[in-house]
Amino acid sequence: MAESGRAARQRAAAEALGVAVAARVPVLLWGAPGTGKTSAIRAMARAMDWPCETVIASIREPSDFAGLPVVIGQDVRFAPPAWARRLAEAGHGLLFLDELSTAPPAVQAALLRVVLERVVGDLELPPDVAVVAAANPPEQAADGWDLSAPLANRLCHLPWDVDPLAVADGLAAGFPAPEVPILPEGWEAEQHLALALVAAFLHARPALASAPPTDATSAGRGWPSPRTWEMTARLWAASGAAGVSGEARSALVVGAVGDGAGAEFLAWLMEMDLPDPEAVLADPRSFRLPKRADRAYAAVAAVAAVVESDPTPQRWQAGWQVLGLAANSAPDVAAVAARVLARCRPDGVPLPAEVRLFAPVLRDAGLLHG
Amino acid sequence: MAAPDASSAISGLAAARLWAAARYPYLASGVFGARVVAAPGIGTVAVDPGWRLWADPELTANWTAAELGSVIVHHVCHLLREHGPRAGLAGVRPDEARTWIRSADAEINDDLVPAGLTLPGDPVLPSHLGCPAGQLTEQYFTATRGRPTGPGQPGAGDGDTPAGGRGNGGELDCGSGSDGFGRPWESGQPPVLPLWQARLLQRLVAQQVLAGKQAGDVPTGMLRWAADILAPKVDWRRALAAELRKAVADTAGAVDYSYRRPSRRAAAVGNVVLPALRRPVPEVAVVCDTSGSMSDDLLAASLAEVEGLLGALGLVRSLRVLACDTAVGPVRRVSSARQVELVGGGGTDMGAGIAAASALRPRPAVIVVLTDGYTPWPDGPPRGSKVVVGLLGDEAPDAPDWARAIRVPGVG
Repeated sequence: MAESGRAARQRAAAEALGVAVAARVPVLLWGAPGTGKTSAIRAMARAMDWPCETVIASIREPSDFAGLPVVIGQDVRFAPPAWARRLAEAGHGLLFLDELSTAPPAVQAALLRVVLERVVGDLELPPDVAVVAAANPPEQAADGWDLSAPLANRLCHLPWDVDPLAVADGLAAGFPAPEVPILPEGWEAEQHLALALVAAFLHARPALASAPPTDATSAGRGWPSPRTWEMTARLWAASGAAGVSGEARSALVVGAVGDGAGAEFLAWLMEMDLPDPEAVLADPRSFRLPKRADRAYAAVAAVAAVVESDPTPQRWQAGWQVLGLAANSAPDVAAVAARVLARCRPDGVPLPAEVRLFAPVLRDAGLLHG
Repeated sequence: MAAPDASSAISGLAAARLWAAARYPYLASGVFGARVVAAPGIGTVAVDPGWRLWADPELTANWTAAELGSVIVHHVCHLLREHGPRAGLAGVRPDEARTWIRSADAEINDDLVPAGLTLPGDPVLPSHLGCPAGQLTEQYFTATRGRPTGPGQPGAGDGDTPAGGRGNGGELDCGSGSDGFGRPWESGQPPVLPLWQARLLQRLVAQQVLAGKQAGDVPTGMLRWAADILAPKVDWRRALAAELRKAVADTAGAVDYSYRRPSRRAAAVGNVVLPALRRPVPEVAVVCDTSGSMSDDLLAASLAEVEGLLGALGLVRSLRVLACDTAVGPVRRVSSARQVELVGGGGTDMGAGIAAASALRPRPAVIVVLTDGYTPWPDGPPRGSKVVVGLLGDEAPDAPDWARAIRVPGVG
């Protein structure tokens, strides 16, 4: 039997977690209490041989993150707590903020700088400290709060949805640690390409550049803003360099900018892979039919649609040429587009030879009249 | 010439898909998204969640293009409507898989058969289950659960894999894509579409369904499905919980520090006086609309929900309930929603209720208004209180902008 959807999602979440840590993007795991978020993160730190400082936000005060004021002579310094000092001295490590959603609003506010800029009190943590957080959905934690929108906007949200079979295996054989991929030297240069992609997408969908959540339910999750789009570009570049699965890449995108905007971006990326219909019409011989039938359909339907919008005799004939190329390997796909072209025949243009290719399949489908 | 997929063994497939794409243009992307695989000997046509359609060439050989095309559309709808994962969420046991599939079939067929779906044999319709059309699989399933499904029930002998093929009262087994239980012929192949691509395809089809709306031939059930996919409805309980938590959190977080009590960390600093973190416990008042137009069940359900939420926030001690139509009844401090008596009638003015609530001392930080919406509202929010409005019933008019409103749909 094929792997269940849940197991696939869980594996993708673990992969995505590794990429986010490698790219030093703050990441937040959402899952029910007791589903092994904490142990997965600790195991990951052990596997990397990195120190892991666990800080439970709900039992801390804002001053633990903003620094404790100390008077030294004329100055007030904000002294960082010991866990921050330890991380700073080690030079690298995981800062694990557990139980983030049970932190009261004032503590969440104090966490804002820690999460994104890694600044605790007057101390800036070294760039090789990765911030990882875990939280229970507020409806599952007894005293949970929804994450404030600004804090939610600084994190990549990953669902931690445990597969029962994986639990069964893990209890017997131990839980595998999520793997943090080693990103190849110079991967950050790829970021410019990813940023250009995101920029092109936002040109096409300017409304998605910044869309703060309007209702309280979605406020605590990822939502599109310039910051999260930049985060998306970084994650996209890192996940490409790490060579992770498409499932994990999509989880990272959706985790950063939220469900709707993330899906739009991924769909747009897939559309980018299709041949440009105008370029195809200009040179029909260059047309290569995508292998997957639904992609092939999208490609020929796009060609038919641009012909229909401006059916000059020359474009119309070029359109038929394209369909002729597609008819061999995917007669049904091409025939759907052929019906569109047949409807918009310019006056006085003779029927092209390709029409005959579609007669058998149209007749079989009972769609040939007269 | 390489075929785009391994479908050549199914004769007439191209014509069938063309028929389907021509008949249901808004589903064309989905129809071409499923990969058809010949599986001799399984005696049925079935889908798996990875968008692979297993078809017995012997069975389909005698079908017309319209019949095979209809079966493909039907199965693609199983995938688009996620019947496999939904079966898991509904807690369907292997021996109930047959009932679930029949319910899922009814959900698909109830508006596609009138729109021209030509399934071979006798397709399951809601009327066969004794149910009104236009419901969800879960509703059909609840209604028919426990009823015998006819001769040759699966699960009677073969455990968790309902055997394929006919023999189940003459109906075809729709496969694991419709009930989530693996079938013997699915031999661990990687999915044709990984989950994330399947989700994208689902959204794409939903967009095309809505785009096809202008043409006017899309069944309403499909339109409703598409609208749900593109803008998922949030359960009102979750929405209400989030709004209440937010209102309470805003108040609780508004007055953070107090010098009334020294910080427990002051000892570390010596001469600096630190503020302590203070979390005020907000007072909450609930204003219930008791006018004649209100439905008691709905009011009781939402009041119980509010009470439960406040209990989770540790605030139930301070719950005050006001019954209100045009006049406001006496304030009652209650410890349970059951103690609330709803006396009232006639007209409605929630403004009076809100004014009475904000005149209470101590002043409530959060006022929850439960109403059917047919009421005049004050021009602005009361001073110093946040207002969360629960609009009960499907046709409630909008609440004013200054309040956070949650729609509580009627009990259906």
